[in-house]
Amino acid sequence: MRDRHPERSPGHPGRSDGSAFQDPIATFLDPTVLARIGNLELLARTVVEGFIGGLHRSPRLGASTDFAEHRPYSSGDDIRRIDWKLYARTDRYHVKEFEADTNTNLLVLLDVSPSMHYRGDGVSKLEYGSFLAASLAYFSSGQRDRVGLATFDRDLVDYVPCAARHLRLVLHALDRANRAASASGRSSAPEALGTTHGAAGNLRSSLSVPLQRLAEQTRRRSIVVLISDLYEEPDAVLSALAHVRGRGNELIVFHPLDRDELEFPFTDAANFLDIESGERMPLVPDYLRAEYRAVVRRHTETLARRSREQQVDYTLLDTSRPLDAALFGYLAARQRRGTART
Amino acid sequence: MTFLAPWFLAGLAALAVPVVVHLINRQRKTVVAFPSLMFLRKIPYRSVRRQKLRHLLLFALRCLVLALLVAAFARPFFDRRAAAAAAATGARERVILLDRSYSMSYGARWTDAVAAARRAVSEMGGNDRTTLVLFARDAAAATEPTGSRPQLERAIAAAAPGDGATRYGPAIALASRMLEGSNLPRHEVLIISDFQRSGWVRQDEVRVPPGTTVTTVDVARGDTPDLAVAQATADRDRAGDLHTVTVAARVTNTGGEPRTIDATLELGGRPAATLRATVPARGAAQVRFPAVTVPGGATRGVVRIPKDALPANNAFHFTVALGDAVSVLVIEPARPRANQSLFLQRALGIGDQPTFRVDVRRADAVTPGDLANRAIVVLNEVSLPVGSVGARLRQMVDAGAGLLVVAGDVRGDRPPAEWLPALPVRLGPVVDRTRDAGGSVAQVDYGHPAFEQFSAPRSGDFSTAHVFRYRALRETGASAVVARFDDGAPAVVEHRLGRGKVVFWASSIDEYWTDLPLQPVFLPFVHELARHLARFRDSRSSYLVDEPLDLSRHGELTAMFNRTGDGGELVLQAPSGSRSVIPLSGPRQLAELHEAGFYELRGTNTAVGSGRPIAVNVDLAESDLSHFDPAELVAAVTAPAAGSTASAVGTTALPEDVERRQAVWWYLLMAALVCAGAESVLANRLSSRGNVVNAGLGSGP
Repeated sequence: MRDRHPERSPGHPGRSDGSAFQDPIATFLDPTVLARIGNLELLARTVVEGFIGGLHRSPRLGASTDFAEHRPYSSGDDIRRIDWKLYARTDRYHVKEFEADTNTNLLVLLDVSPSMHYRGDGVSKLEYGSFLAASLAYFSSGQRDRVGLATFDRDLVDYVPCAARHLRLVLHALDRANRAASASGRSSAPEALGTTHGAAGNLRSSLSVPLQRLAEQTRRRSIVVLISDLYEEPDAVLSALAHVRGRGNELIVFHPLDRDELEFPFTDAANFLDIESGERMPLVPDYLRAEYRAVVRRHTETLARRSREQQVDYTLLDTSRPLDAALFGYLAARQRRGTART
Repeated sequence: MTFLAPWFLAGLAALAVPVVVHLINRQRKTVVAFPSLMFLRKIPYRSVRRQKLRHLLLFALRCLVLALLVAAFARPFFDRRAAAAAAATGARERVILLDRSYSMSYGARWTDAVAAARRAVSEMGGNDRTTLVLFARDAAAATEPTGSRPQLERAIAAAAPGDGATRYGPAIALASRMLEGSNLPRHEVLIISDFQRSGWVRQDEVRVPPGTTVTTVDVARGDTPDLAVAQATADRDRAGDLHTVTVAARVTNTGGEPRTIDATLELGGRPAATLRATVPARGAAQVRFPAVTVPGGATRGVVRIPKDALPANNAFHFTVALGDAVSVLVIEPARPRANQSLFLQRALGIGDQPTFRVDVRRADAVTPGDLANRAIVVLNEVSLPVGSVGARLRQMVDAGAGLLVVAGDVRGDRPPAEWLPALPVRLGPVVDRTRDAGGSVAQVDYGHPAFEQFSAPRSGDFSTAHVFRYRALRETGASAVVARFDDGAPAVVEHRLGRGKVVFWASSIDEYWTDLPLQPVFLPFVHELARHLARFRDSRSSYLVDEPLDLSRHGELTAMFNRTGDGGELVLQAPSGSRSVIPLSGPRQLAELHEAGFYELRGTNTAVGSGRPIAVNVDLAESDLSHFDPAELVAAVTAPAAGSTASAVGTTALPEDVERRQAVWWYLLMAALVCAGAESVLANRLSSRGNVVNAGLGSGP
């Protein structure tokens, strides 16, 4: 049914060359290994400590409140940050920007829609996203950032506001999301899915509604990490992200996809069932694989390009690969920005 | 196009199976849950091509194979009857020839034949005339040409299979005569039969009139296993005063399986013995019953086996006639030579078919009473008697007895006056051949019953016998010279006197003038001559149905009536009880034997049951149920005679026969085989390219 030896993307770290198994960092960050750790906190600590321990320099950023620059006022900026003195001189509204302080917000938005439950040979996308969210929360919490979590499918499912002491709540929320996914996964056999989801109607996640509601609830600018499989058109995705981005939030998008979704390794003709919509489609994968890969590639490239244009950090994740790619992506984004603006 | 088994066409629904399976059901068997079909929906439909037929040629071949198989099993055939019927117009003169031979009683043949005849009657038009002819060995019209359906229906209902054998020639000849006399525009002959090969002799050059349509209805079906009692022989023996017979019967089996049967011997109407025997497949077995004591006279015997599909040949009738000994009176001179009648007496004392009972009397001591009940009288060098003895002898010969005159050294050269007008043979002087080492019998009429046995090479040589002296027989044209000496002188002369025969032998019948009694041919010659004189020539224990029985040649059957002095007529009663009268006067007394069983021949004054039984059996040639193509018969009888135009031919048969002849199914199976081969080649070729997806269905570019 599924090709057990999918092609490896060149230049991507992972197990394909075998050396990854000798890398202690990779070993600690292997999602299949992490999946055996039941405690998310322990898992996050393992990931972060293992990850950091492998780095040659510390990624911790120094605390600072120094003025950086002025920038024009934009809708949604806190009027308290307007530099009235400069207004007096120039008769224009400018906002003062400072070097990032250490007490920034990290809000993780985790997609828990049914499509995230998909599990190929390893962990599901939801589990992978949970590991990543927990790791980021633990990592940020260690820097005394305020951490929060929001889970969503078509709407907000669970919301943990950002706070310095909300790491436990975040982890619990992640745990609940995984348990809920496990409970629904037991009835997610292909035969049952057709009826379950078909009867339930379209459960396709929609970024627009939950992100809009989330933007209404958050007051402070935050580093928003979105973890979703983004099964929407790039225009719709970027339009939804604008709700968050417009508030002055830093937005980092992690796009986890299973190896099956990337490679489409199926061989036998079968009825393919859309987990979210319940729709069935009889297909002969052999004749679709190449075009499918091309469509997926075009989709991710479009997302990456459009995200760059919108100053959104976009990282495509393969759930069969270690978490270091995601963490590197996160840190690289932080470093590329140099400092976080507040 | 018509189908013999149209319900097989329902199998065409199977054509939908691959389509249904591959278009509807197949891909539903495997369901793969996938996060989203969003990307798959973006792929152009031409690439998905789900549920679309692919490799149309392969699919068409497979459907064609299936369709051909279904059509072959439905057994199609082309029915030309409707077209033929529509083509002809006008009133018809139709002759229905209905086979009533005993083979028609096999299984359901007769029922089918009657149904076919009724169907033909029901199809009769308003102006048509039909004649029903029943035939076996002979043919006879059961109705006159009529347009009355009830009359024809009654005739059909009254018909039944007989015991006769099939002969198509007489039936077709009769139909031809009927059609030639018809003034209706259309002529048709319908033959309803089982078309046994034994019934058609190509030499029967019979033809129907030009323009006659000959149609056939073949009621023969499939295999025809049959058990028959083919023959039964009775060996007689005598122990003191008791006569015993040992009966052996031969049972044949035409079936493909061995059969174990109980064969029963009945003698005198009572079961005498029952034996179990196994008859091999397509073979025969002999059943030999233990010896049974039988009373004198003619005893009825029957060997029976259990009835099967053809019961007519499950019994064999025969007669055991111990009282058929031929009584011979030898009259020798008052002072005979030593052993003058010894050779003749000893020769006739041997053998039992028939048994000869020989009495010797001196000429001077013979009385008319000595002549009573004699079948043969031998005048061994004795002059023809005169007076009461002569009159009685003359009467006996007129009634059918035989008289052998051994000329030899008899005195006188001409018969007495009372014999003279009827016996124009003169005894000439003695011819002495001692000087040339004797003469020999050189010219023999081997067509004569007495010499017929010697006609074959090495079956008897009369030339080895030396005849040193003989009388020169002088005969007129009324007598027949049967054999001559090497000098051309008559050796054996036969003259018919009334119903009897008088045979002259020119020499002696002992070794006085000839060494013939010392030769090997003497014994059979005497026996054959005696049988001929006593008219025991064709003595048989049984006869065949429809076999002509000339009683004038069967003294064993009529001897008892000569003795009892029954008038000039005999009564022949058939097994069914019907009687016919046969006159005893005249040269030939023919009896017609149309039924199997025991006929009874008796005098007009003889009580029923005390006559002479005559066993009659069915002709075993009819038991050979070998079939021939009716078209062969139709072609023969409709072939144009020299100088005439061709006859119109139309053959009609039961749908099964038409279908069997046409054998369209065979061609369909061959076509299916060819298509299957082509399909395999094509499938392998496509498979090798990796493009074959399940019976030509699937998706792919």
